[in-house]
Amino acid sequence: MEEFKIGLCPYCGMGCRFYIKTLNGQPIGIEPYPGGVNEGKLCPKGVAAVDFLRHEDRLKKPLKRTENGFVEISWEQAIKEIAEKLLEIREKYGPDALGFFSSARCSNEENYLLQKIARLLGTNNVDHCARLCHASTVVGLAQTVGAAAQSGSYTDIPKAKVLLIWGYNPSETHPVLMRYILRARDNGAKIIVVDPRKTRTVWFADMHLQLKPGTDIALANAMMHVIIEERLYDREFIMNRTKGFEKLIAVVQKYTPEYAEKITGVPAKLIREAAITFATAGRGIVMWAMGLTQHVTGAANVKALADLALICGYVGREGTGLFPMRGQNNVQGACDMAALPNVFPGYQKVTDDEKRKRVAEIWGVEDLPSKPGLTIPEMIDAAAKGELKALYIMGENPIVSDPNTEHVIEALKNLELLVVQDIFLTETAELAHYVLPAAAYAEKEGSFTASERRVQWNFKAIEPPGEAKPDWVILTMLGKALGLPKFDYSDVEDITREITLVAPQYRGITSERLKREVMGVQWPCPSEDHPGTPRLHVERFATPDGKANIIPVEFKPPAEEPDEEYPFILTTFRIVGQYHTLTMSNRSESLKKRWSSPYAQISPEDAKKMGIQDGEMIRIVTRRGSYTCRAAVTEDVPEGVIAVPWHWGANILTNDALDPEAKIPELKVAVCRVEKIGGC
Amino acid sequence: MEKKLFINLGRCIACRACEVACEKEHGISFITVYEFRDIAVPLNCRHCEKAPCIEVCPTKAIYRDEDGAVVIDESKCIGCYMCSAVCPYAIPIVDPIKELAVKCDLCAERRKEGRDPLCAAVCPTDAIIYADLNELMEEKRRRKAERIVEAQRKAVETLAYFG
Repeated sequence: MEEFKIGLCPYCGMGCRFYIKTLNGQPIGIEPYPGGVNEGKLCPKGVAAVDFLRHEDRLKKPLKRTENGFVEISWEQAIKEIAEKLLEIREKYGPDALGFFSSARCSNEENYLLQKIARLLGTNNVDHCARLCHASTVVGLAQTVGAAAQSGSYTDIPKAKVLLIWGYNPSETHPVLMRYILRARDNGAKIIVVDPRKTRTVWFADMHLQLKPGTDIALANAMMHVIIEERLYDREFIMNRTKGFEKLIAVVQKYTPEYAEKITGVPAKLIREAAITFATAGRGIVMWAMGLTQHVTGAANVKALADLALICGYVGREGTGLFPMRGQNNVQGACDMAALPNVFPGYQKVTDDEKRKRVAEIWGVEDLPSKPGLTIPEMIDAAAKGELKALYIMGENPIVSDPNTEHVIEALKNLELLVVQDIFLTETAELAHYVLPAAAYAEKEGSFTASERRVQWNFKAIEPPGEAKPDWVILTMLGKALGLPKFDYSDVEDITREITLVAPQYRGITSERLKREVMGVQWPCPSEDHPGTPRLHVERFATPDGKANIIPVEFKPPAEEPDEEYPFILTTFRIVGQYHTLTMSNRSESLKKRWSSPYAQISPEDAKKMGIQDGEMIRIVTRRGSYTCRAAVTEDVPEGVIAVPWHWGANILTNDALDPEAKIPELKVAVCRVEKIGGC
Repeated sequence: MEKKLFINLGRCIACRACEVACEKEHGISFITVYEFRDIAVPLNCRHCEKAPCIEVCPTKAIYRDEDGAVVIDESKCIGCYMCSAVCPYAIPIVDPIKELAVKCDLCAERRKEGRDPLCAAVCPTDAIIYADLNELMEEKRRRKAERIVEAQRKAVETLAYFG
């Protein structure tokens, strides 16, 4: 029998709906769903979203590592042994020897449970891959406007008169969002793209500010310099709703466009023109992604963009806003659920005694750990040093996603216990002591929070393969085996209900409501009869005094700068037809055949100098490793820059130097040399 | 008037959702996205008004169906590829299994159920639209008129401000 079930795309953070078409319970394809934020439209990954579900590589039984490789064991045995080992390690080394990687690929309920397990075991060592994408956003926005999330909705985009798209290539990372961006352009909006590469988004731009990787602050400060000098700022907004403008004036004073040109490589005239266009538009939106955040100055980069929007009064009104675009389907939710080492659900600081006691009370314990835990890169370092002994990884593949691959492998091999819960045997799972087979998106229920804070229900369409189970079921079993209080959830709705108690922003977002309202609800939603909040900061900012903080920042160069040995700057990017560590997308024949292999973009000038032909094999070498791929000679990158999609393991090259505040690694800038291998 | 498939080159982001969708629907993709510097061209059968493929087909395998789509009747096709040779876009291709000419049929099965061709249904930026030309142009004209009104209001406001 053919059936259509409402699905929620498992790929990026856009939050697209579609129908999953099933025949006798088996997924056979997708069909546009008339509605949702995507208005029925889909990108190639969305179109291919059921392809990996029945792939023969799916994990179907729990696995245990033995001297002869993996053997299948029963769920009871696996959970019992993992629980015993976790408790034993805690007993021997203390709770902070345990670490947990939660997942932006899993539901709110699942992220909620994993961080709850960590905290009830006595540690705040819980984090997830937002650390590698938007940790800078979380820190930067929390300090400036008080809420670490997209301030407006997608529907604000067509109402804007200028879009400043910074370090972000929606044409490839969120193709469906381009729908809204092109609609803005139809309505006469100017589009300014800031990117070291000439991306497909630049095709649609009025201005392209092609800056040198890692020089974002110099550029943003120069734009603010012009806006202040020309008195184009929103005086009323600054006076009534912000603090710190005077300090900004002092800091940006020296960042003349001419000074910034020397640092960024962007012509002073163009900087001036972009600044004037942005400030005089009247309604503007600033969008950014990994090109801005993955730097040692990531948090400062975000603050600079927030300042830029604030001085123009582009926050809290129709057609304005700060738009950090989320890369995974539940980055926002995983952050909201506190798969972060310093907060409880709803961004309640672990150091806040009153809030901590309240969460403890709901969870049925006296108190919870009050010392902020370790972030992902810090847990990896602690494992390498032998301080972290056990790591429980749910739905992440750090060997491919984290910088400096060799270091990650060394760290994981050093653990006494590595548990990986996933849908495929990833590169990381191959190193695990235990592998637990999880259900994929279409095989379970729960809520997911898309980029615009929209919480949507994920309906179940098919059964999981073999003995695979939804992550929340696995975590409930584990919680019980660990003897943790109140882990008797009988269905996922029990957990959703508990979230509404713990996270203030989610109070009115019940499972019943989400099942009824397929379009979902945007948080904050303080009560069940509240319609949700499409726009933040309308009257006051989420700061203690309600005013936004304008926080000036100074430009600092990236951690590595080119020298004689490593003359090129290496940067990484994403492509439209593959997704992150390839686990899902490369198991779709349609995607795999079109986006088949790694390559490196190199400018025609550099290629000529080195005698490299288009399509020829080259080796890229950094201080951390080497990587072989084909050369793609293109004018899309400037001289001196090498750009690689990171999906095929290019993180063996990238730098793990951290932003001191956000602890995000500088994945976007490393220095490298290029060696010609020859042959195609 | 019947609906047609329109391609707006100024909106294609080269994401190839149409290609993947077409392949899912038909097993082979009848649409191909060609990427160039600054622009991409998604190309498929244009279902021309004066379709040379229909004219040239010696077995009359190619005909126009009730919605105006140019389609091939497999049982009549002899695989001579005259259609490919005369097509201004070189659209009909060889089906690797049947060894016959195959091409876009505007998702005949979907149209029967009142649904749009899948490439147009999924295209995220409306670079591919399945619509009635007159209605489409009317919508476009109306949007342009709204822009004129907006510009006019702005001009009046500016005058008032300086006046």
